[in-house]
Amino acid sequence: MNQPIGQRAVFWTLVIISIVTLSAPTFVVLGASVTSGNIIAFPPEGFSLKWYGKILGEQDLRDAFFRSLQVATICVLVSLPTGTLAGIALSKYRIKGGIAIQTYLLLPFTIPLIGSGIGLMLAFGDAGLLGNLWPVGVATSVINLPFMIWAVSSSAAGLDPDLELAAQSCGAGPIQTFFNVTLPAVTPGVITGSLLMFILSLNEFLVSLLLVDARIVTLPVQIYNSIRSIITPDLAAVSVVFIVVALIAITILDKIVGLEIFLKSK
Amino acid sequence: MDVLERAFAAVLPNGGGKYTPYLMLMPAMVLVGTLVVGLLYIGDSSLRTLDRTTFQFSDYWTLENYTRALSESFTFTIIWRSLLGAFIVTVITLCLAFPYAYTMVRTPSSRLRKFLLIALFLPFFIGQVVRAYGWLILLGNQGIVNDVLGLVGVEPMRLLYNYPAVLFGLVQYMLPFAVLMLAPAMTAIPEEIEAAAGSLGASWIKTMIYVVIPMAKPGLVGAGLVVLTLSLTDFAMPAILGGGSQDFIANAIYDQFFRTSDQGFGAALAIILIAIGSMLVGVIFTVFGAGTLDLGGNNK
Repeated sequence: MNQPIGQRAVFWTLVIISIVTLSAPTFVVLGASVTSGNIIAFPPEGFSLKWYGKILGEQDLRDAFFRSLQVATICVLVSLPTGTLAGIALSKYRIKGGIAIQTYLLLPFTIPLIGSGIGLMLAFGDAGLLGNLWPVGVATSVINLPFMIWAVSSSAAGLDPDLELAAQSCGAGPIQTFFNVTLPAVTPGVITGSLLMFILSLNEFLVSLLLVDARIVTLPVQIYNSIRSIITPDLAAVSVVFIVVALIAITILDKIVGLEIFLKSK
Repeated sequence: MDVLERAFAAVLPNGGGKYTPYLMLMPAMVLVGTLVVGLLYIGDSSLRTLDRTTFQFSDYWTLENYTRALSESFTFTIIWRSLLGAFIVTVITLCLAFPYAYTMVRTPSSRLRKFLLIALFLPFFIGQVVRAYGWLILLGNQGIVNDVLGLVGVEPMRLLYNYPAVLFGLVQYMLPFAVLMLAPAMTAIPEEIEAAAGSLGASWIKTMIYVVIPMAKPGLVGAGLVVLTLSLTDFAMPAILGGGSQDFIANAIYDQFFRTSDQGFGAALAIILIAIGSMLVGVIFTVFGAGTLDLGGNNK
């Protein structure tokens, strides 16, 4: 469509401002991680991969990274079955009290993160669960669950109830129907949702900060603790780990469902 | 498979019948239930005061923490700072997100669309701490911006640890959320309607104000609400880019729990924050409707 010049000028100015703002931290972190100097400076002091070598030798960073991976895996293991069932149920059935249930299931988004985190900290603490990693995984699953449900329910809209009926009239039991007909229909949503859950859990900072102690810090918490003291390039190298993981996730998402799925109107 | 079917039939004759959807929702409800339990714990704590001589919490309930919170000017300072910040961030974010979503949806070039999507998802997937760390490198006293300014002879400026830095960080944090909530609403607006407005003589500004923005309202409300509540309750940006001098409510709550160790007072602040947040959501829902924040969609 031919847009008026004035509109193009205004919109593109704002879009470019957005792109620069969105991308600046990523590129700065990437640049800082390959400096050969001991501080981060501009103009950069030359290219070197020495900070990557250094972080490989730092036990606490490595441990923190594996802890974060563990937390994210637990999060997916918990939210995949729960969110998928709930997403299918919400989009397939006309549910009595559906609005109340939806409002309830949106609680993770409506309760401020600090409230959810502190509440879980008190509850888990009372149950003697703090100090383990798995409650952190469960917590990140709870606070992001609506994403999983939303991803599944929006792809379940394409689910054809006649197909399920057809499977059943051909003699398939409810479980067989579920695994062979219903589940494949929502698979794109399940993948999108699981990937989102994994990434959000891997990056989760505040709830992690509240639920971990000094022995089990996750990577975002470790980075947070370090940037408050002094900014050295090794932290930039660690941060690049997150950038790489993000790039991988985006590639998978794009290959499997296509990023454009997020532009579809409901 | 047959064994499974038989076991399933034995446990749930008739496949659960009319209870099927509720059974399917049960695990999610239980999971979210932990938050409700957490809230009860916060509520309970907020009603117990700390005895400063024994460092024990009272074994009776009292409203003292709330009266204290509402009588200290400190509470109002941080609430005002958070609320004002959240509103400014929402307005700026929506102003940036609208043209971004519009361009992304309307562009005929699929490569540009992909590029805009990746530019959006990359920061979204990188997480708050790493992004804030990027800003520290850029804006710090020895940061890149000051280095560049130094090259042209400008004295180093303090670009961090102030209110604008926090708001700027929040806008950057919120932008992907806002665009992703707006884009589907934009897609739903037929391009022909704009063309029609244009061919009837409306300028592009008029077309935007009278056609596109009203039609994108559900998306704008959804996006605005998410940005408003997330920035109101944010912890990381004020903590990292504000350097302790620009605390929002969440930071004050954290400090009560982990620095002052006054759990009761912190819990009372948390309840106050939840109340403010819910009131905001309620007001916006009544004024503008629920927008796109609908889990099941209208496809039942």
